[in-house]
Amino acid sequence: MSVAGLNFRHITKRYGPVVALDRFSLDVAPGEFMTFLGPSGSGKTTALNILAGFTSATEGDVLIGDRSVVDLPPEKRNVGMVFQSYSLFPHLTVFENVAFPLRLRGASADTIKQKVGSVLDMVKLADFGGRMPNELSGGQRQRVAFARAVVFDPPVLLMDEPLGALDLKLREQMQLEIKRFHAEIGCTIIFVTHDQGEALTLSDRVAVMRDGRIAQVGSPQDIYDRPESQYVAEFIGRTNLFQLRRGQGGTWDIPDLAAAVSGIAEANLSQAALSVRPEKIRPVPAGAQADQIAFDAKISDVVFQGDHVQYEAVAQGGKTLIFQDHRGPGSELLPKGLAVRLGFSASDAVPVERETA
Amino acid sequence: MSARSYLWLFLPALALLLLFILAPAADLLRASMFDPDFTTEHFARLVTRGVYIDVMLRTIRVSLIVAVCCTIIGYPIAYFINLQPRSRQTILLFLILIPMWMSILIRTFAWIVVLGRDGLLNEALAAVGLIDEPVRMLFTSGAVLAAMVQILLPIQILTCYAAMTEIDFDLIRAARVLGAKPRQALMRVFLPLSLDGTITGLVIVFMLSMGFFITPALLGGRQDTMIANLIEFQVQRLNWSFAAALGLVLLLLTIVMIVLLRGLGRMAARRILKAGL
Amino acid sequence: MNKLLLGAAASVMLAQPVLAQDKVLTIAGSGGVVKEISERVFLPAFEEATGWSTKFVAAESNILLEVRTMVASGQMLYDAMEVSASAYPQAVREGLLEPIDYKLLDPNNELPDKAKKEFGVVAASYSTVPVQRLDKNPEGRKMESWSDFWDVEAFPGPRSLKQQPEYNLEFALLADGVALDDLYDVLGTEEGVDRAFDKLDELKPHIPVWWTSGAQSVQLLSDGEVFYSTTYNGRVGKLQESGIDVEIMWNGGALHTSHVGIPKGAPNYEAAHEWVRVRTMRPDLEAEYVKHLPYPNFAPGLFDAMTEEQAKTMPTYPANADLQFVANEEFWADNIERIRERFDEWLLE
Repeated sequence: MSVAGLNFRHITKRYGPVVALDRFSLDVAPGEFMTFLGPSGSGKTTALNILAGFTSATEGDVLIGDRSVVDLPPEKRNVGMVFQSYSLFPHLTVFENVAFPLRLRGASADTIKQKVGSVLDMVKLADFGGRMPNELSGGQRQRVAFARAVVFDPPVLLMDEPLGALDLKLREQMQLEIKRFHAEIGCTIIFVTHDQGEALTLSDRVAVMRDGRIAQVGSPQDIYDRPESQYVAEFIGRTNLFQLRRGQGGTWDIPDLAAAVSGIAEANLSQAALSVRPEKIRPVPAGAQADQIAFDAKISDVVFQGDHVQYEAVAQGGKTLIFQDHRGPGSELLPKGLAVRLGFSASDAVPVERETA
Repeated sequence: MSARSYLWLFLPALALLLLFILAPAADLLRASMFDPDFTTEHFARLVTRGVYIDVMLRTIRVSLIVAVCCTIIGYPIAYFINLQPRSRQTILLFLILIPMWMSILIRTFAWIVVLGRDGLLNEALAAVGLIDEPVRMLFTSGAVLAAMVQILLPIQILTCYAAMTEIDFDLIRAARVLGAKPRQALMRVFLPLSLDGTITGLVIVFMLSMGFFITPALLGGRQDTMIANLIEFQVQRLNWSFAAALGLVLLLLTIVMIVLLRGLGRMAARRILKAGL
Repeated sequence: MNKLLLGAAASVMLAQPVLAQDKVLTIAGSGGVVKEISERVFLPAFEEATGWSTKFVAAESNILLEVRTMVASGQMLYDAMEVSASAYPQAVREGLLEPIDYKLLDPNNELPDKAKKEFGVVAASYSTVPVQRLDKNPEGRKMESWSDFWDVEAFPGPRSLKQQPEYNLEFALLADGVALDDLYDVLGTEEGVDRAFDKLDELKPHIPVWWTSGAQSVQLLSDGEVFYSTTYNGRVGKLQESGIDVEIMWNGGALHTSHVGIPKGAPNYEAAHEWVRVRTMRPDLEAEYVKHLPYPNFAPGLFDAMTEEQAKTMPTYPANADLQFVANEEFWADNIERIRERFDEWLLE
């Protein structure tokens, strides 16, 4: 089977009074790497389970390709899946684990040998076919799980927090490998994680989930640079939020910074805030510049992190904010207590919907 | 610090083993060989008279049948319990444990009430019109087997259940999503993974059956005499040496059979699983 | 003052044994309820008749062991003793008993022969008897003999016997036509034993269960698990009371007797005979005793005091006693090892 796209159509899942998924709709293009990102309880795993067939939707439909799958048992959906704890069959060798889906599909011994061989080759475990799962390292198991999930060329591959059990270094390495595998295989991937870094690194698109709904869906860059809500802005990376108040003549006041900004198109935000990423704020020379919002502040904390320095500063009005210096040529650390003038470009400031607490 | 420095933790167990297992076994050997002078007549009697060989073979046969029946009945029950929600599992396990609070003697007597000529079963069969005359059920091999299975079943259920709770349910999901029908997931993943625990349960039931004596004594006829019955009989007759020889033979047979069962059981099970898929 | 008191006390302590010493009869027997009833029924009668006092010693489980030691040491402390059925042949063989002087005990020859042994007199008895469920018998038929017990065509249905060779071999021989009086002559030969086993072979398939305790035998009959079984006569009354239609067949039953005897070197040989008389020949006392313990002896005229109905339940009732054989414990003591092993293995075949 070739690569297929999939569509979630108004999926609702209720557990008694609890709504786990609320009219969840999403279209995924063939070959796309789509990540469901969200904290636990946001509905991302429920969506995955409904897609895999482990749970049934209360309402709505799921299509793989152009086929509705909601009434099919898991084994008929022809999706590959990588589990959080790998879920390798402990009583079978690596080879037999990978051969498992092929045997169930009645493949010939030759086909099995050839396919398992090539997929083990791809995950660089060609010599490990005879090992038992408990003789492998975490990363190796992960790769076996991946090999097993794709050996039968499923049009869709599901990955449920597959890197959660690995340590940081291995995780980063595996991220690159998964990227490579995806490029090689080209199948549609639904990837579930609560790690925003992972989501940004791997995905073509990210669906940020919240309370059973999609808060925002878009490319990693979209999500990062143009969050639509305070929730998304704060969940992805770090950010500074400044309250916005409608000013006069199309301008907006920023009371925290005793400044004003104009040219914000999305004026219809009822409860608006301005999200400014820490790396967009930097010390500026005195004197106003066009398209620049500047204010006076005092450095209150300095955190040295090697490739960059993170500063905490208190604006004159008392608002605490953070900014980063990425240490270009000739940069020096600013001492704690230093009074500085900080500024950011209006185009780097993103108006978002503010949380109504 | 190596693991060796903690070897002393085994001392109490070792002492108990020596005191309550090895020493009595050695004494058994002594009692069977000295009566009061060294003699092998008791073992010779065991080996040369066909009747005792018959009893040994019967003991092994009955124990095997009981162990296999307990497994065939107990495994699905354990599986069923394992599928229930947590709270219901607790209730079901509790229900299964209840009969184990009663002594084997009482449970065996209950079978007399059920299987007797004027017992519940005969009356029920007569009431439905299936039989005119009461059928002899008591003092038959069937009665012994039924009661032994009933008495030992909870042990196999609990052992299987314990093995099943160890199995990560994601493995079953993995099998399903990779293309296994429910039955295939059961046969290829769940069954092999619970096999070890199941064979352990089978061996435990077998071992307990080998020493059964109240049930065959009360529910069986003379054709159901097992080694333990012979031992009790010989002790009553004050034939201590012959009883000791019987006891030793029972011990050895049980050990040999356990080793065989564990090995063969696993091998056969593997083969059946492979061939059946 | 002190010396005076001590002296007085000493004289009292000394005087009493001296007074009684000549006139105390020491009897050894079972403890428990047997001792209790004996002390209530027989001892006062003896004391009244003789003016002696008595001491009833509840001997340890094995009286024979004590007596053997006393005989060996030449210091016999007992004047009379209970001798159980199984102890009798052994005691006789070891010469632990004095012969009974029947001229002294029973000058008018009132005791039946069955009661009189050379070294003891029957003090109590019970029987192992076949019992039939009358309601399970074929219409209008009733078992009359061991041949009937063996006749599974005329009397179909499950049977039970005790799981031991003792008396079953006798029963088999009786079923095979051996006369009561010839039983132990036949059984004394190897052919006789073979003959008994051959006869038992015939019945074996019809015995689903061999009982091991009296309670079990009664239970089997009561539950209808077997229609015919041997049991102890003392248990049948209760079975009948509970509404089960059973009847004892005395014909060919085994009568087990225990005895009262006089140990070798007993200090009061003649007075001991008086005790034996009180214990075995006084129907008034025995009738009272039997009310508590259903093990009657052959006290002459015992049954005159009873209703006929009651008397007919007694193993020593002449009509019953005449039909039975007295179990020969001596034979079994001599042959048990050999026959038991054969029987045990025969059972397993």
